[in-house]
Amino acid sequence: MPNSQILDERRRSIGFGDGSGILCDTNSVSGAVSQRACVYCGARVVLNPITDAFHIVHGPIGCASYTWDIRGSLSSGSELYRNSFSTDLREEDIIFGGAKKLAAAIDEIVGKYAPKLIFVYATCIAGVIGDDVDAVCREAESRHKTRVIPVRSPGFSGSKSFGYRMACDAIMRLISPHAGAAKTRGVNILGDFNLAGEMWIIENYLRAVGINVVSTVTGDASYEALIKMPSAELNLVQCAGSMNYLARRMEEEFGIPSIKVSFFGAADTTNSILRAAEVAGGAETMRRAKIFTEQNEAELRSFSERYRPHLEGKKAAIYVGGGFKAISLIRQFSAMGIETVVVGTQTGQPEDYETIGTLVSGDAVILDDANPSELETFMREKGADILVGGVKERPLAYKLGMAFCDHNHERRHALAGYEGVRNFTREIHLSMNSPVWDFLGEMKAETSPAFH
Amino acid sequence: MKSELVNLNVNPCKMCMPMGAVTALAGLRGCMTILHGSQGCATYIRRHMATHYNEPVDIASSSLTEEGTVFGGEKNLVKGIENLVNLYDPDVIGVCTTCLAETIGEDVPRILADFKASRPDLRAGIINVTSAGYSGTQYEGFFRALRAAAEQVEPDAAPNGRINIITGHLSAADTRRLKALLKEMSVDAILLPDLSENLDGGHEETYSRLPRGGTPVSDVAKMAGARASIELAAFIDEARSPARYLLEAHGVPFIRLNPPVGLRDTDAFIKALASLGGVVTPELKKERARCLDAMIDSHKYNAKAVAAVFGEPDFAYSVTRLLTENGARVALAATGSVCRDFAEKILAETGRVRDYHIDSESAALDDCDFDTIERRAAELGVNILIGSSDGRRAAEHLKLPLVRCAFPIHDHVGGQRVRMLGYDGAAALLDRVTNTVLSNVEETFRGEMFEKYHRAESVLTPRGAGNSISPHGGKVSALPHPCFDGCSSKYARLHLPVAPSCNIRCNYCVRDYDCPNESRPGVTSGILSPAEALERFRRVRAALPELAVAGIAGPGDALADFGLTRETLSLIRGEDKNVSLCVSTNGLLLPFYADELSSLGVTHVTVTVNAANPTIGARVYGHIDYFGERFYGDAAAGILLANQLAGIARCAALGITVKVNAVMIKGVNDSHIPDIASRVRGLGCSITNIMRMIPVPGSAFENIPPPGERELEDTRLECEKILPQLRGCRGCRADAAGTLDRDFPLSDISRPAAPEPCGKRAPSARFAVSSKNGVLVDTHFGHTTEFYIYEYSDGGARLRERRPVEEYCAGEEGTGGAGKMDRILKTIEDCDYVLSARIGDSPRGRLASRGVKIHTSYAKIEDAILEAVTKYERSNAI
Repeated sequence: MPNSQILDERRRSIGFGDGSGILCDTNSVSGAVSQRACVYCGARVVLNPITDAFHIVHGPIGCASYTWDIRGSLSSGSELYRNSFSTDLREEDIIFGGAKKLAAAIDEIVGKYAPKLIFVYATCIAGVIGDDVDAVCREAESRHKTRVIPVRSPGFSGSKSFGYRMACDAIMRLISPHAGAAKTRGVNILGDFNLAGEMWIIENYLRAVGINVVSTVTGDASYEALIKMPSAELNLVQCAGSMNYLARRMEEEFGIPSIKVSFFGAADTTNSILRAAEVAGGAETMRRAKIFTEQNEAELRSFSERYRPHLEGKKAAIYVGGGFKAISLIRQFSAMGIETVVVGTQTGQPEDYETIGTLVSGDAVILDDANPSELETFMREKGADILVGGVKERPLAYKLGMAFCDHNHERRHALAGYEGVRNFTREIHLSMNSPVWDFLGEMKAETSPAFH
Repeated sequence: MKSELVNLNVNPCKMCMPMGAVTALAGLRGCMTILHGSQGCATYIRRHMATHYNEPVDIASSSLTEEGTVFGGEKNLVKGIENLVNLYDPDVIGVCTTCLAETIGEDVPRILADFKASRPDLRAGIINVTSAGYSGTQYEGFFRALRAAAEQVEPDAAPNGRINIITGHLSAADTRRLKALLKEMSVDAILLPDLSENLDGGHEETYSRLPRGGTPVSDVAKMAGARASIELAAFIDEARSPARYLLEAHGVPFIRLNPPVGLRDTDAFIKALASLGGVVTPELKKERARCLDAMIDSHKYNAKAVAAVFGEPDFAYSVTRLLTENGARVALAATGSVCRDFAEKILAETGRVRDYHIDSESAALDDCDFDTIERRAAELGVNILIGSSDGRRAAEHLKLPLVRCAFPIHDHVGGQRVRMLGYDGAAALLDRVTNTVLSNVEETFRGEMFEKYHRAESVLTPRGAGNSISPHGGKVSALPHPCFDGCSSKYARLHLPVAPSCNIRCNYCVRDYDCPNESRPGVTSGILSPAEALERFRRVRAALPELAVAGIAGPGDALADFGLTRETLSLIRGEDKNVSLCVSTNGLLLPFYADELSSLGVTHVTVTVNAANPTIGARVYGHIDYFGERFYGDAAAGILLANQLAGIARCAALGITVKVNAVMIKGVNDSHIPDIASRVRGLGCSITNIMRMIPVPGSAFENIPPPGERELEDTRLECEKILPQLRGCRGCRADAAGTLDRDFPLSDISRPAAPEPCGKRAPSARFAVSSKNGVLVDTHFGHTTEFYIYEYSDGGARLRERRPVEEYCAGEEGTGGAGKMDRILKTIEDCDYVLSARIGDSPRGRLASRGVKIHTSYAKIEDAILEAVTKYERSNAI
């Protein structure tokens, strides 16, 4: 038998009904089986949706293999981003260095495809064997007059959210030369990755109320669209945690103000549309936004009422990447009449956990960087009916006889906007109320066999 | 074999060593594995395994950080092992290295020896696998782990009479079959590894986070005392072979066989077991007979299969042998691993049946990526792909079916239950292949036969000769145009509404709106003068550099007032030499203006033709106005048709690309549309766009229902045999701008940019909000780095600006705390309310003394403002 369900040094990262002061934003505990990924992962997921870039992973094959087209980001143009390019470093490269191979790869790509944009991701090994990826990119850039941008993402150099920053730095490096562009009327949308077309949903909403979208970052983004970013009047920042840093830098360096938005849940969606209309449009835009949101909310209400009796009174567990997503899920659940009993995130910040504490009931479990044994222990203890998480958590939920909803990269259903509320509600219902749960446990028959 | 890009792997057909090592270790009983490296390696491998097996797969990580990378990761690794022992209490601990640990030169054996010495009470054994990701693929990693287990588990060399069976990566279901076979043959075997339970567990009352199946370590120890070993792997590196080790260290003789997949290799395995005393039961003989019978039943179908097989070397070889036995042709076998004997062995196998597959070519590639597989598969005429789900992009590009039967399978369920081992496994996999071939034939042969034999002209002239039989040899314009290239969304187009009037009356039209031959019904566009049109063109081009097309498509007919159209087109052409110009018309006046359109540089013309004979035309059109006279009925339709046809022919002769729109009207012209297509094809029209009539109230056809999607598509399919069909036409309005996916809002073009300045309106109440995420009130007053300033009036709250402040708490302990407080208060001195998550007593007092109202909340900002207003209004009322 295991000595413990919870490691002592993990206890400080667990709160009961109160999230203030729990230990977070720190290194994972070795051997604890963290669900987190690495810096490279953070950088890759943010940049990979840029559709017409060559994304070259400089490292051994694993890093490229495990991230090849794993995110359901959609494109209206190029499909180039769905390929995996890797320098596939081998033993001899580890000994003699991989910089030459990288430079040759870039030359070859430029010669054959004349791309406008290349990203080079430096993985753990690139740094350790002493490859100066920055220099290779700089030289290639001046040799070819094409943008070759290094992404400093050795896996060990921090957490996944550090990788988000590295991705944002790469974007800044891309767009800074275009800072002087004349202003166009319109906004950038930051922090949505067009999973299952979510960026399109958001764009449609803005267009419907008369707000022009200049650039989308990075869902369905392209080189030409990205370099227009500095010409926008305003950044709308989806609270995903990954883009706050970019918004701040754009504000400081280009003077582009930003406002926060969230398109998860009906209330947040309405609020965000109104907020964007208020700041980016005039009276007419505001009038249209009011009509648009009222109509959509009214339509949604009758939908939600039909589902509510099936959901009310159930209990949910949440384990997701960022704090804001967890917060918006708690609020969405509570709008459905579902109580959140366990909630954790991989990269939440102190204020996220404090807010979470005010949204959940007295003894709900709040976790930072949880592991499978903690999730198992608390979900069982609290009697959760459903877990919302990523695919790694799915088999655990099922083994525990619990419903599951994927709220991560690989999903094929949109969860943003009013459509997203419908999809989310259906997903929850279809898993939680499935007939399959009636059959858990021992063999049972509806009628005992009787022989005549 | 490398892809076109010699310095890059493009779409890997392989994974890394640690993946193979942890998979093999998952086949040991009570084993928990830790990867010594950065956190991402464990997480990625877990994700890969979780989607394939649909099982929880817990793998620990030593979570190396920058510090560990520089100064060594011993502390992390030891701590990690301690923690996993506490959480899982394993029987055995797998410690696998990664790229990072190997590159920084971690001496893991020494670290583990010290650790064991310091923990004599440790119940679990440790198996250390050296598995740098760059030293090989998952294939090699798998056997390295098995070899490490054989070497490092304390041996029990007392002779036990058992038989060691060492396998590569088998599915859980195949492993169960193998165990059943050994039991059926009464062979007392030690199976290494045994993934059957741990990677395909049942749903139990209580969940055990440490999987309880697999080969017990005590059995691994007993391998040293076995009678013999059978190693089921064709390409294992001799130096890494567990069976070779058992021979050299403990004198256990071994035989190496191919994995028992397919008739011959299963026969060989069973014979080997029989030679060691295994019993060949009558049931087993029946199973073989059934497998053979199944193979005979399907051999002719499988003879049509031209397969590309890809994956680990053993998998690719086994499936190649299985398919070849049944007469299927393996045109390409590929593996991502570096494997010296691979090509030789595969080609020996495919070469064996060279006389059967007459004039066919086969290839075998190792060290290969999917870019290469895809290219070679296309060259070799492959019609079925067999391997992991990573082949799905190649399948998508090549439009080929993919039989998913190797790790990883991310997009289908059942990876753990894939069968191919033994006689029944052979039949099961062959059935899947055969049925894929059969489905493919069933879905395509009707169309193919029709194409090949029914259409006389296609027998006489090669397919795709549609353009060349145009009487004028009309060339197709190479310029991009979204309304001709199947609604491609890449290029932007601009419709200029300069044509006010129309010279015919279609019975589905009400002239209050734009012409429905091109536009959505019920849409009205304002008319522009040619000069205004030029101005709009300039503005849109400035905002949309991808603007490729400018056209005139209404709101009336582009040729009815040709002077306006002419002037507009020449102004645009004068402004931009490159933009494509296009015109849409009913065609009545087309013969008169075709030459002039061509000389103005028009490259695309759309003509709406709703009837190819006057009788039907008379039902569609109410009247026409032609040179000052109004014609009705057959006469009107006859004149219109004659001019449409003459105009189309003239345009085609001038090299203008012609598209014909046909509005499908139920019960009027719906069965007649293919006749229209045939008629205009002969004149050089290159594409037709069949649109549905949408009834407009007040029109003569207001009571005719629109055709359904099915009817529309059926008609398109029929017409497709005659001419290419445009699909997804969205009926853009006459003043559309932008790409087909993204309309450019015209209102925004015309409105000058003027953001509203902050604080223009007189506020009724101003709020300073402490928030970090900007959506919720989530920050302490004292921790606020910037305030969100809101205004409340008329029952609504609006964001005005964000104001950075000095942090009050940060400086309070030192000197000048009061000064900082003054600054903070000054920052928000114009505010009537403060909203924070919490607030200390001192600032609370100072704010209150200045009459500032304070409200604490964690709600959404807008809601919190309403709460505050309500609260204070109520208290005022009291």
